[in-house]
Amino acid sequence: MAKKTYDLLFKLLLIGDSGVGKTCILFRFSDDAFTTTFISTIGIDFKIKTIELRGKKIKLQIWDTAGQERFHTITTSYYRGAMGIMLVYDITNEKSFENIVKWLRNIDEHANEDVEKMILGNKCDMDDKRTVSMERGELIAKEHSIRFMETSAKSNINIERAFRELADAILYKTAGREPGDNVDRVMVDRKPTSSSTKSCCNH
Amino acid sequence: MPDCNVNFEAEIEEGQNKRSVKCKFCSSVILTPATAAIMNVEHSLPLIRQTKTTEENPDTETTSVFWAVKDMFTFQNVGFSNTVGNTKYLTCADCEAGPIGFHDIPTKMSFVALSRVSHGDPI
Ligand SMILES: Nc1nc2c(ncn2[C@@H]2O[C@H](COP(=O)(O)OP(=O)(O)OP(=O)(O)O)[C@@H](O)[C@H]2O)c(=O)[nH]1
Ligand SMILES: [Mg+2]
Ligand SMILES: [Zn+2]
Repeated sequence: MAKKTYDLLFKLLLIGDSGVGKTCILFRFSDDAFTTTFISTIGIDFKIKTIELRGKKIKLQIWDTAGQERFHTITTSYYRGAMGIMLVYDITNEKSFENIVKWLRNIDEHANEDVEKMILGNKCDMDDKRTVSMERGELIAKEHSIRFMETSAKSNINIERAFRELADAILYKTAGREPGDNVDRVMVDRKPTSSSTKSCCNH
Repeated sequence: MPDCNVNFEAEIEEGQNKRSVKCKFCSSVILTPATAAIMNVEHSLPLIRQTKTTEENPDTETTSVFWAVKDMFTFQNVGFSNTVGNTKYLTCADCEAGPIGFHDIPTKMSFVALSRVSHGDPI
C-alpha cells in the first residue's frame, strides 16, 4: 500500500563506557532542546533519521546502548544487524579511552566482520578538563584504520557530521560491492528481526 | 488542546496526509506527504507538558485522531522511547518533544496524534 520512501536502511549503534555521553549524542540535547519530563524519564530507545547522500535517501536507525553494559557482557545478539558502530570515549576520562581497545576487540569478536566503525572523542567542549589529547585519538584510529572525530553532544559539535560520515562510509562500501538494488533488498529484509527483538527484550 | 478545535479535514486527501507532518516546536519533518492513513482510535496519551512530576501517573488526555503508519521506516524523522507495557512513545527526533503518538508493539503499527503535530510544506 504505502510507497517506499527510502533507498537504503542503515542500523547504527552507539557503544562505549558508561558516562561518555552516548545518550546525549542520540538525544542531541543541547540546552535549547525541548526535553520533556515524561520522555526523558522513560528514555529514548532509538531514532529514525532520514538523510540524503549521493542522491540516495537513507534511513538511519540509531540505537543507544544501556550504560551498565561492559564489553565482556556484550555479545553477538547485541550487534545483530548493525552496519555501523560509533565507538565513544570521553576526552576527560582516561579510562574510557583505554577501554576503546577492549571495545574494538569485542566488536571484532562479536559484530559482523565488515561493520563500519568510527571513534568519537566526546565532550570536546571541556578542553580545560581534557586528559586525552586529540593526537592520541587520531593515532589509535589510524592504527585500526578507522575514522575519528572529536565531538560535543553538549555544544552540538560534529554530531550530525559524524553520523553522515559513518553513513557515507557504509554507503561507499555497500555500493562498491554489489549492484544497488540487490543491496537494498538485503538490508530492508534484515530490519524486522532486529527491531522487534530489541523492542521486546529491552525492558 | 482538544482535537475538535482544529480543522483536520483540510489535511486529509484520499484518506492520507495531504501535507508533511511536522514537529510543532522545531518543524522537523516527521512524515512526508501521502505516507500515513487517517484513523480514529481512542487512546490516552501523556501530556507533552506535565504539571506534576509523578512518573507512574503522568497527566494524560484522550486523543482520537491519528495518522497511522504501518512500517516504522516510513517515518522521515522520529524517536522511539523505551518500552512501556505494549507501547513505545513517539517523539520528535530533533528536539525530543513528545509524546507525539505511540507505537503498538504487537501490531507494529505507529500512530501520530494530529493534535500534537503541525502540518505544512517541507522546508
Ligand atoms: N560537557 C559535556 N558533557 C557531556 C557531553 N555529553 C554528555 N555529557 C554529560 O556526561 C554525562 C553522561 O552522559 P550520558 O549521555 O548519560 O552518558 P552515557 O554514555 O549514555 O552513559 P551510560 O548510559 O551510563 O552508558 C551527563 O552528565 C551528560 O550531561 C558533552 O559533549 N559535553
Ligand atoms: Mg546512556
Ligand atoms: Zn521537534
